[in-house]
Amino acid sequence: MVVKPIYNRTRDHSHTLILQAKPIAARLFLVLVTSLAPITTQAQQSIPRTTIFLDPAHGGADSGARLSDNLPEKTITLAFATRLRALLSNSGFSVIATRDSDPTVPFTTDQRAEIGNHSHPTACIVLHATASGNGIHVITSDLTPPDDTSDTDTRHATPWDTAQSASISQSLTLANALGLALLHSQLPVLLTHASLRPLDNLTCPAVAIEIAPLTPSGGDTTSVSDASYQQQIAQAIVTGLTSWRRNQNPTGAAR
Amino acid sequence: MIPRYQRILFWSLFAGIFLMSAFLLHGCQQAHKRLAALNDATPIAAPTATTTEDITLYLANDADASITPTAESFALPQAPTLRARTLLEHLLATYSLPASKHPLQSGLAVDDLFLLDVPANTPNSSHANPSEAKQLAIVNLRGSFVDNHPSGIQVEALTVQSIVGTLHAALPDVTGVRFLVDGQPHDTLAGHADLLRTYPAVDTTSHPSPPNENSPL
Repeated sequence: MVVKPIYNRTRDHSHTLILQAKPIAARLFLVLVTSLAPITTQAQQSIPRTTIFLDPAHGGADSGARLSDNLPEKTITLAFATRLRALLSNSGFSVIATRDSDPTVPFTTDQRAEIGNHSHPTACIVLHATASGNGIHVITSDLTPPDDTSDTDTRHATPWDTAQSASISQSLTLANALGLALLHSQLPVLLTHASLRPLDNLTCPAVAIEIAPLTPSGGDTTSVSDASYQQQIAQAIVTGLTSWRRNQNPTGAAR
Repeated sequence: MIPRYQRILFWSLFAGIFLMSAFLLHGCQQAHKRLAALNDATPIAAPTATTTEDITLYLANDADASITPTAESFALPQAPTLRARTLLEHLLATYSLPASKHPLQSGLAVDDLFLLDVPANTPNSSHANPSEAKQLAIVNLRGSFVDNHPSGIQVEALTVQSIVGTLHAALPDVTGVRFLVDGQPHDTLAGHADLLRTYPAVDTTSHPSPPNENSPL
């Protein structure tokens, strides 16, 4: 929101600076709502609200992987994000998502990272789907963590391409918590690392969740579009995030 | 009595037929020489004797997302760029075999491979000894390979890690690997793995471990 200053000439010919009333009122309303929301939630659930950044990958002309003849990856990521968002909200998390529809012109990966970094979330989750592999792939950035011993000055600028490097250890902890929750839900999980945008550009603890078909040995394959499969994954992720948040912040303070 | 003009016409036609026959005969001989030249197997350059040598391929496995070094014997040319290119072609051709654990479509994958010397004073260079030769490998992939590569974070990352690890093992002087597609910078391999960054040439052996219950959350 841009607040434009307007110079008005009064009857006594003096210049006074006033601000547009509508944006100010809207801003005050937003501040009021955002400040009251945690209070009401805490009163109801006694759980501190934690902001989760969700990025359903692809969208628009970028349809991502072709999972079947008429099922693009962007459709699966959006459907799963919608499901996960609802569960996270019910569990007391605030959710910021990069899209809730299939826009004609989607955000670029850099814009997605900017949205995530500006909102200062507690955790960032980038959602993908694939036709290769089995189960769920929990992926962290393969950037090298910064060497603390070589540079004690923390005021240096962080390169955009390696912004995630400072949060690698937290991201690994988050990936482990999510992996444990998925394992406890009887879902096959692989913890791997890769170089991926916008994952490498996020400054929060960040993981990419890649959903692959469920192919048990000797059993029928479950497609990534299967609603119960998606629900099971989403529920496990919420459980993992809740566990991770509890261990990250045992005193109950939240962002 | 044959009129004179008919005799002149007859001999003129006869001379024309003779000239055309000679011209056709000459054309046939020229064509024969040209075709024979194409099949000429006369050696121009001296032959080089190449023996097989032990190489290490870093092979990917989609089932467990692992990269495993595997030793093989293979004949490679001596020139470093040709050597690296042949090695990568052999690596990627391995993935098109029926028993591959990281199946990729067959076909030529690498268009070119360049080895550039890295100046010792660049910000990215981390070598203390300037006398050590350090190189940046630029792998120019074919568009057809990228277009037919399976799409997904893990499967694309495994291909990149496999290439980087194999180059690192074969060419120890290479410190970084960059990728082009048809000679141009390209965002991703097949929609996910970043191809715009420089990958450090390191040992990419990996065997992902399952989530750890004892890890501090």
